[in-house]
Amino acid sequence: MSKKAEVCTASGLPLTERMSTAFPCPSCGEGIGRSARCRNQGVPYICPGCGFKGP
Amino acid sequence: MEGESVPLMPYEEYQSNKVHIGTQTKSQDMQQFIHEVAADGTGLHLIDIEQTDERLQLAANFLGMYEARDILVVSARQYGQRPARLFAQAVGARHIVGRFIPGTLTNPLLRTYIEPQIIFVTDPQADNQALSEAIGSKMPVIGICDTNNNLRNVDLCIPANNKGRRSLALIYWLLAREVLKARGFMDDETWQHTQNIEDWESSF
Ligand SMILES: [Zn+2]
Repeated sequence: MSKKAEVCTASGLPLTERMSTAFPCPSCGEGIGRSARCRNQGVPYICPGCGFKGP
Repeated sequence: MEGESVPLMPYEEYQSNKVHIGTQTKSQDMQQFIHEVAADGTGLHLIDIEQTDERLQLAANFLGMYEARDILVVSARQYGQRPARLFAQAVGARHIVGRFIPGTLTNPLLRTYIEPQIIFVTDPQADNQALSEAIGSKMPVIGICDTNNNLRNVDLCIPANNKGRRSLALIYWLLAREVLKARGFMDDETWQHTQNIEDWESSF
């Protein structure tokens, strides 16, 4: 598994906010980050490792 | 995950358990997972079962990246309660079914306080209390999302009927099997023979 993401995969924002998150890509384990805003608005993310598009 | 992978279960089996039957409402977010509107005049939106199957495989893979005891499964919905509990018991995860006591994930002073690392919700809308606490605690969220749900605060969506008794039984039954298989503890035949899907259905 790759190391934890430190920025939002979609927006590039640092993951410092309370409602942000970091997790391994469900498909390949690469680190994915999501800012509070991207999570709250359901903004898609694309895994830099395998191209999986979530959520 | 794309392409030629073998489905976890024949698509007909998903269909006979109504896993693909959505609601009359379709959200913008779920459009990508919706196949068509039922031709029977009910106006129900039908979910693309191939995507459901792919996402179930991904969800099992994802859950396998965590310690079982760090996984929390919740279901406020009645029909999800028995299958969610059986899933949790089978894989060694924690579960909260029925009412979710506010503060369970956020208030260390509560007797019921726990600190899971990942949460699995049966319905992001019905499980909104658990969902919002999980979000505030920075943990990733897997949700079974029906055609009327949106993807707000969901990090991995499993598009499926999250209201039907048989649908929820099948989803949790399959997920449990896959999580145990990934750990090397199970095979399809043994699971099939020891776990009757009907026993996973809520009875009320
Ligand atoms: Zn990936």
